[in-house]
Amino acid sequence: MEEAADTVPPSLRRSSLPGWPRASEPELVRHYTWLSQRNFGIDTGFYPLGSCTMKHNPRINERIVQLPGIDRIHPLQPEHQIQGLLAIFYEMQEMLEICAGMDQVTLQPVAGAQGEFTAIRCIQEYHRSNGENHRDKVIVPDSAHGTNPASAAMCGYDIIEIPSAEDGRIDLDALRAAVGEDTAAMMITNPSTLGIFEPEIAEAAEIVHTAGGQMYYDGANFNAILGKTDPGRMGFDAVHYNLHKTFSQPHGGGGPGSGPIGVKSHLAEFLPSPLVDRQEVEDGGATGDGYRYFWKTPENTIGKVQQWHGNAGAVVRAWAFYRRYGRELELMSEHAVLNANYLRHQIMNPDSETLAGIEVMPVDGAPTDVVKHEFTLSMQPLKESTGVTGKDVAKRLLDYGYMSPTLYFPMIVPECLMIEPTETESREVLDKFADDFLAILAEDPELVSTAPHSTDVRRVDEVWAARNLILRHPGSE
Amino acid sequence: MYVALCENSCNEHSRASQFCLGRQEAGCEDLDQLPNLGREQEMLESMGLQSMDDLFSDIPEEVRRTDPLPLRGPQSEEEIWADAQHLLGANVDLDSRPSFLAAGLARNFVPTMVPMLATRGEFLTSYTPYQPEVSQGMLQAMWEFQTMVSELVGLPVSNVSMYDASTAAAEAITCAVRVKGRKATQKGVVYVSQFVPPHRLSVIENYSQGGSIELRTLEHGEDGRINLEAAAAAAGACAVYVEQPNAFGNLDEGVMKLKEIIGENTALIVGVDAVSLGIVEAPGNYGADIVVGEGQPFGIGPTAGGPIYGLFACQKDYLRLMPGRIVGKTIDEDGKDAFTLTLSTREQHIRRHRATSNICSNETLIALMGAMHMSLLGPEGLERLALRVAAATETTKQAVCAIPGVELVNPDTPNFREFTVKLPRDAGEAIAHMDEEGVLGGLDLGEWWDSMSKCLLIGCDERTSQSDIDALTSALSSWIEEMSP
Repeated sequence: MEEAADTVPPSLRRSSLPGWPRASEPELVRHYTWLSQRNFGIDTGFYPLGSCTMKHNPRINERIVQLPGIDRIHPLQPEHQIQGLLAIFYEMQEMLEICAGMDQVTLQPVAGAQGEFTAIRCIQEYHRSNGENHRDKVIVPDSAHGTNPASAAMCGYDIIEIPSAEDGRIDLDALRAAVGEDTAAMMITNPSTLGIFEPEIAEAAEIVHTAGGQMYYDGANFNAILGKTDPGRMGFDAVHYNLHKTFSQPHGGGGPGSGPIGVKSHLAEFLPSPLVDRQEVEDGGATGDGYRYFWKTPENTIGKVQQWHGNAGAVVRAWAFYRRYGRELELMSEHAVLNANYLRHQIMNPDSETLAGIEVMPVDGAPTDVVKHEFTLSMQPLKESTGVTGKDVAKRLLDYGYMSPTLYFPMIVPECLMIEPTETESREVLDKFADDFLAILAEDPELVSTAPHSTDVRRVDEVWAARNLILRHPGSE
Repeated sequence: MYVALCENSCNEHSRASQFCLGRQEAGCEDLDQLPNLGREQEMLESMGLQSMDDLFSDIPEEVRRTDPLPLRGPQSEEEIWADAQHLLGANVDLDSRPSFLAAGLARNFVPTMVPMLATRGEFLTSYTPYQPEVSQGMLQAMWEFQTMVSELVGLPVSNVSMYDASTAAAEAITCAVRVKGRKATQKGVVYVSQFVPPHRLSVIENYSQGGSIELRTLEHGEDGRINLEAAAAAAGACAVYVEQPNAFGNLDEGVMKLKEIIGENTALIVGVDAVSLGIVEAPGNYGADIVVGEGQPFGIGPTAGGPIYGLFACQKDYLRLMPGRIVGKTIDEDGKDAFTLTLSTREQHIRRHRATSNICSNETLIALMGAMHMSLLGPEGLERLALRVAAATETTKQAVCAIPGVELVNPDTPNFREFTVKLPRDAGEAIAHMDEEGVLGGLDLGEWWDSMSKCLLIGCDERTSQSDIDALTSALSSWIEEMSP
């Protein structure tokens, strides 16, 4: 076949080859092994990164996605050639519907933010179909993830940010003042980014619905409540799931994720295309379960948000994770919440004066002073007494072999550290972390504020990076 | 340490069994994902709580679920593996038969090193490198990725990936509108090539809902090439989006002349087949402002359409308004070389509704696989790969077009990876017939455009063999012969 090689005419040909070095396999294996050793993952140590749900990633999932029945599949193959894949998609749609109390799920969005965007697009088309184009505002609490307002803005909406009440919960009076004829939707996560369950969520939904708006559930914190309650019961119309948080798709240094959405029936006709459906067949079907699976297009679909069917590989991993628990998924949430409360208790109830250095958002109204899957600590008192900031504490934790908690988010908590241990950490790890955390608060402030000391590089100059903008190797330029 | 681990795992089994006795359903004794299973009570009591229910007492009764989830029982890893093999084994994979379906994805060969190293736990289980002091590995790998993408497309700036080629194209358009919006004489107008696949156009339409963007069609002529005279109408618009090769696999020299026609104030966005750039001119060298494309051929199999990754590279004047994460080189406190995420003030976690994009999770791990694959190829290896694909395309094209009744669409333009033929009857029928003969014959273009129901899009790759081609031509010939009287 080589003689036919020169079929691209000279006028279209590249004048010079790109210039990166070729390296041999042994050199590259060593290079990337070395790089991996300079990178911290859940496998390396405790990763209490709030709102990111850094749980263990079961290895069977990685083995499964190497099977040719997923790795070597084209998304446009005829349906009868991919019945096994469609069966898994169907099972996942149905499972996610049940877990969130929704009527229809699409697996197409490939990240949480894309799920938000997709759902807000569906809500936009819903309002348009009702002749309500004038609804041009989306309401978000000030504690919301940044993707919420960004996703709504990408659909063309104006954002109304409402302040949280002093205890970090939703301020219903502020919500009442914000809703109106122009309300398209409210986006909110529950439990909130403070790890606090909103007890008045049903009332909030009522306020938004009465004004003619739709309720959107940011599923980033779904790990806290699975099997205990669901967004459907709380009054939500649409929800996204983070398969890379709740369902153990590895975070991979920033992705891939997967952000399916579920909606109530009135929004289902607008979902992206295609969905998976099935029909009973006499011959048992290709997978032997008695069904033939097929793609179907929602009646008034918004079309596509990803060019194929979403991150199928992530869906298959999440399927394997789900199968591990089945109906016992509730156990997963119980342990996530148990671990969060236990760690918070270990940090907040020491027989130690270091407690003065921490402030926790008050949780009132609950008989047992509980949080859900995560909690926030304010390092403000510590900063005032010693000058040590939340960032300093976070950097010092790296010296102890931990990943830092989420830093300075939510923004409503001064000097905030947000901690989410997940269900896959043992009590011993939590005890040790609490001890080390409290030890840091008692350390020489100079030592803490110049941390880290034992990492591959010392504190990195981010301002220098932004000033000099060296964004690639200079090569032979 | 070893002893401690051993004791721990032995105890865990008995703890788990004890706990499961109290649960209604059998099966969860296989649950090996929860280190604290079986000692919930001691942890609760240490907090002064009595039961798990106490931890959920803040959920009001009217929204609380009281019945168990109506789902199947838990499974062991062994059972899951068996079910996965059964279900995924029911799929027909591309490598099991002659396959000519590409349509934007490549039936590639990924070097074994790539998945083995990319799934090292330190990479696989890390989050976005927000703490650079313990994330230098992924940061450096992404900086190297940016360098290779920059070299590949001939532009100075690359981000660390978008979701796929379509979202990269869509966000390139919104980015160009932000950058060129003020100077554009055609406010908010973006011209999109007529021959962009419809699913990509649909993604672009969804992403164009904000920001008052008006999409217009950039016409192509009868010969499939861009109509350069009509393209002059795009001068003064915010952007023009074209693909090289286009949806039919055609390479068009006209794309290389577009920048001159549309001028400085209109962004030229080119969507590419990344492998083709081993032999085809880099768009940065003919005036492209933004280059996007599908990264999948480097690093990962087609994976049923995801996870894959989008390439996004641009000129420096787009840098501050572009989407996605960017790694920069810097120094640490001791003046030592280091890497960090930079220009984050564009992003949603800082800028919220004024962010340049809502993208947060991206496709870093797949981009890492791409970087590994590209490093292993090197520029010469990339050129050889592209030549192999071009050769396979040409050989297949000649063989298929020699079949009486088959007509090549756009015969005067060269092809890369794909070509389009017109058949005597519906392409869907041909595909069904070839399927019966064990050949995956391509894509029925009638699924994309109603007017093209007789057109078949045939895709090739570096793995296309002569016997594959023989199987294709034989299956197609027998279909054509069958319907002749």
